[in-house]
Order: sequence, then structure tokens, then C-alpha cells
Amino acid sequence: MELLKRLYKWVDVRVGAGEIVEKELTGYLLPRNINAWYSLGSVLLFIFALQVASGILLLIYYVPDADKAFKSVTYIMNDVPFGWLIRMCHAVGSNMMVAVLLLHMLSVLCMGSYKSPREFNWLTGFILFTLVQGISLTGYLLPWSQLSFWATTVATNSANAIPVIGPQLVEFLRGSKMVGPPTLGRFFALHVAVIPAGIAALIGAHLFLLKRTGVSKPPFGQSNTTNQWKGDSYRYEDHPGGIPFFPNYALEDARSVFIYLAIFMAVVFFDPYLFFPKDAFLPANALVTPAHIKPEWYFLANYQTLKIFPNELIGLSVQGAAMTFLALLPFIDRGRERHPLKRPLFLACAIGGLLLWIGLSVWGHYS
Amino acid sequence: MMMRSLLTGLAVLVAIAMGCGPVQAEDIVCITCHGALPGKYGEPVKLWQGSIHAENGIACNACHGGDPKDAPNAMKKERGFLGAPKYNDVPEFCGRCHVGVLKDYLASGHGRALTRGGPNCVICHGSHQIVKASLELINEKSCSRCHSYERAKLIRGAMQETEGIIVALDKRIAGYKAVGTDTDRLEKELFSQRNRFHSLFHNVDVKRVTAESTQIQAELKKLDTTLKGLDEQGRKRKLAGAVVVAGALLAGLLVHLLRKTFD
Repeated sequence: MELLKRLYKWVDVRVGAGEIVEKELTGYLLPRNINAWYSLGSVLLFIFALQVASGILLLIYYVPDADKAFKSVTYIMNDVPFGWLIRMCHAVGSNMMVAVLLLHMLSVLCMGSYKSPREFNWLTGFILFTLVQGISLTGYLLPWSQLSFWATTVATNSANAIPVIGPQLVEFLRGSKMVGPPTLGRFFALHVAVIPAGIAALIGAHLFLLKRTGVSKPPFGQSNTTNQWKGDSYRYEDHPGGIPFFPNYALEDARSVFIYLAIFMAVVFFDPYLFFPKDAFLPANALVTPAHIKPEWYFLANYQTLKIFPNELIGLSVQGAAMTFLALLPFIDRGRERHPLKRPLFLACAIGGLLLWIGLSVWGHYS
Repeated sequence: MMMRSLLTGLAVLVAIAMGCGPVQAEDIVCITCHGALPGKYGEPVKLWQGSIHAENGIACNACHGGDPKDAPNAMKKERGFLGAPKYNDVPEFCGRCHVGVLKDYLASGHGRALTRGGPNCVICHGSHQIVKASLELINEKSCSRCHSYERAKLIRGAMQETEGIIVALDKRIAGYKAVGTDTDRLEKELFSQRNRFHSLFHNVDVKRVTAESTQIQAELKKLDTTLKGLDEQGRKRKLAGAVVVAGALLAGLLVHLLRKTFD
């Protein structure tokens, strides 16, 4: 113990560690009524770290070559010690990351935390959401299975609906007329380098903005639930008399991470195939089109939207409009009220939108 | 056994040499043109799509020859196009890949009767929509088209148990394959034993069928042992999973209690 204290002092006198701990951890105060929903951000950070770690381990044996990719994944699953566990953690983790990210966004929406001055926080978060979808889509192709091949064929094909540049865009995405080895090459580069770097940068920006604006106070359990920001000058939202981040809220974060870990591991060990249709373990075969190829659950609503409109361009436009609306929500919803029950129009739209998304997803699954 | 393995290996080599290996859809002009044609010209493509050949990537040119990459010249003789064989030539046609089966067939009652109007391969196995060979092919409806079912029924009875084991093993292997297990070796061994077993299909000697079936069952038992090993591995993983999940929940509870001390 004495040795640790001496070590701490040794570091402290050189870099001022005590000052950092005081400012960023023990002296960093959060609202007293902060709830567990706020810890989803930490859970997401944990998931991202786990994805990076498992992804690096997979990279040791994965071969991004159309002739070898499927075999290398099979090798990882069957011959590499604990390879099956690493691969399952990575694959299940990607699905869980989307699920937790959706919950995180939903909580931000419900608590009105996207409102001024946090427009940038929302925007960076929204871009992160699209990047996570992008990294999931590009990762989907890498095992070079029937599911990968045909799901990517369908997904890239939808760009065909874009007027004028559609066919060129499809060829650019695929690297050839059909999904093939060049597609695998570019999706691999996007999946392991470009998008992760983008996500890391955006996470940095998201956290920087969080630090600069301060944590928003939950609109629950208080009389005044309106947004207090005046907009005249920059002002950090502090919480005098609040609870310290360390150890109080760090422990809440840790609790949420452990609960997530229990759920995640339960899926990995007991039903990892929840996210794997049977075509996921058959090698890609351009000659045999599976009867019912479906995208991942989080793209089912998009998939169904493309199907219900008379042409794909309308379907794409509707999706684009919905995404733009969501991205620009802080600029559209200028009301000061933050409590969801005091925002009936917002609540109706949120519940309606959520039900529509679930309905389209279920429809897409069974269609 | 050695002879059978050699024949199977030879069949694979011949298949590769003749271009029976997997092909890419975009390479096959036969499918592009015939798939769009009506009636008897387009029908084979539709039938083939539901066949064991299609499932294994064996396309038109593997049997009918020709150049699948050059539409204008695809069906020229100088490009190796063979067209459809005459009735009596069908066994030799199929036997270019199915070498061992051809040998069994020619030695069988069916094969010996070929020139006298006996059945060729497609009579029992179908053409284009060729299904996976199984004991189901020996049935009263099919056999009675040419002769009484009595003897065929005896043969089928002697093979029923082994067929049942093969089907069950096939299902279990497929189950493991569907969850990402490397079943390549198991599939190859089952394929080899199934071929050995199927060579009896053309045989009419009940005693030989029974003796061979016993030997095949002993080999199948080894596959069963391997699969039981995989079952056990699955159970151990679930047990480990239960410990990990319980550990995470316990850690969550401890952290929660620790958090309460700071209130």
C-alpha cells in the first residue's frame, strides 16, 4: 500500500495526476437525479472496445480473399483455440452494439437531451449511428458466406434506384458489375480501417462535446423541466451538490456494463445463432440464390420500405427524408420543454415512429 | 474398400478434368439463354435449378460440353458440345463422372438389360432434376413400371437400417454445419460410405447386401462417435457459459451494493 502511495506521488509531482483525478473524476459532479439510462454511453464504449479487441484477434487468422475468406472463418471457428468464442463475441457484439445504440438514442430523445446547446452532441451521435450501421454492413460480407454474398448483392443493388449515377454507384460500391473479390477487398478496408477510424474520431468528438457542454439534467423528479439554456453565451452546465463521477457514477456504469455482459454472454454461449440464419454458414455461391435472403434485423424496416413502394427510388427517398428529419431534430424541435409527458406531439410522433419501425421490421421478417 | 476409395477418387479427378467442378452463374451463357426460353428449351434450366447437380455447382457444360463463356459458339462441336445422348448412351454419358456407379450399373440386371430396353440412369434418377440418390428411389410405384416389386422390396428391406443410420447422421452433420462447425471430413467420410452403400442399390444379391451393410454400419459408428464428441463439447461450452453469466451477474450485484455504500 505504501509502495502504491509512493508510486502515485512520484507520478503526481511530475504530471499533476491528483489535479486530473480531482477535476475529471472525484470533482466531476453529475446531477443528483441522474439515472441508469445515462450509463448506456459507457456500455457502448465498452462494446466498441470489445469489438476492436475481438476484431484484432480475428484479423490474425482471417484472410480477405474471396477464395480463402470462408475457409479462414471456418478455421477460426473450429481450429483456433477459443476462435469460436472470439468470432461469436464479434458477431453477436455487432448486433448488441446496434441494439444498445438504439436504446441510448431513444433515452436521449425521451429526456430531450438533444435540445440546445447539445445539437452537436446529437449530430455526432447520429453520425456514429450511421457509421455503426456501415461497419455492420461491411462486416456482414467478410465471412463470404451465402448470406454475406446475397445480402450484399441486395443491399448494394438498392443504390441502382438513384437516378443518373445509380448504376455507376453500384459498380463503385462493388468494384465490379457483380459482388465479387473486389467487393470483398473494399468492404474489408472499410470495415477494419476507414470506418473504425471514423467511429473512434466521432467518439472523441462526442465525448469532447459532452465535456464542454456538461451532462444534461434528467427531466424527471423536478418541478421545472424546461430547458434553461439562454443562448447568449457559452456556459458549462455544472451541477453543484451533485454526485461525483468517481466512485459513485463510475460504479453505476460498471453495474450496467456487468448486466450487459451477462446478457451478451448468455446470447454468445446459449443462442449465438439468434443472429445467424442457416445461410450464414454456407460458402458463397453465385450460382445458387437462397430463397429468402433477408438483411440483419436492424435493416429489416429499410428493406420492407423499399418493397412497399411502387419503385425503389420512392422507397430510398422516404428513408432519406426520415433519416434527415431525425438528424436535424434538434433544429426542428425548438420547444423548451424536456419532460416527455409534457410534450404530447413529440410523444405521439416518437411512439408512432417506433411502432412503425417495429411493424415494418416484423413485416420485413415475415414477408 | 480400397477399390471403392480409388474409384471415388478417380471419379473426382475425372469430374475436375471434365469441368464438373463448381462454376459461377455469370460464366454460364447456357443458363442466360435457355433460362429465358419457353417450353422444352427452357424447361431443363428450371428442372436443373432444383437438382443435386445445381446444389453442387455442376452446370450444363459439365454434362453437355460446349463453351459456357462464348454464347455464339457455345453449342459448336469444335467447342466440345455433346448435346443430348441417345437412350443407350446415357449410362456412359453419366458415367464419365460417376465412374464407380457406372461399373456397378453395368454389372447389374438393369445394366445388362440396357440394349434390350432395360432402364438407363434417367429412368430411375430423372434427367436435369436429378435428386440425391437414396433408398426412396426403390419404391413400388417406380419399380412396378417395369417389373414386380417383390425382389426390390427384399433388397430395400435389407438396406433400410443402414439407410436410416446414414440419413440420421446426414441430418446431424447438416445440423452442425448449419452452426459453423467444420464438417468437411465428416461429410466426406459419410459421402464415401453412402457411395459404398449406394453401389449396393444396383445389386440383386440379398446376402451380399446384408454382409456389406454390416461393414458399412461399423464405419458409420465411427462417425457417430465423432458427433457424440461434438455434442459433449457443446454441453461443456454451455456449462462454461453458465459460469460466465453467473459471474457477470454476481459482479454486477457486488458493484451495485458497493455503489449503495456511497449514497
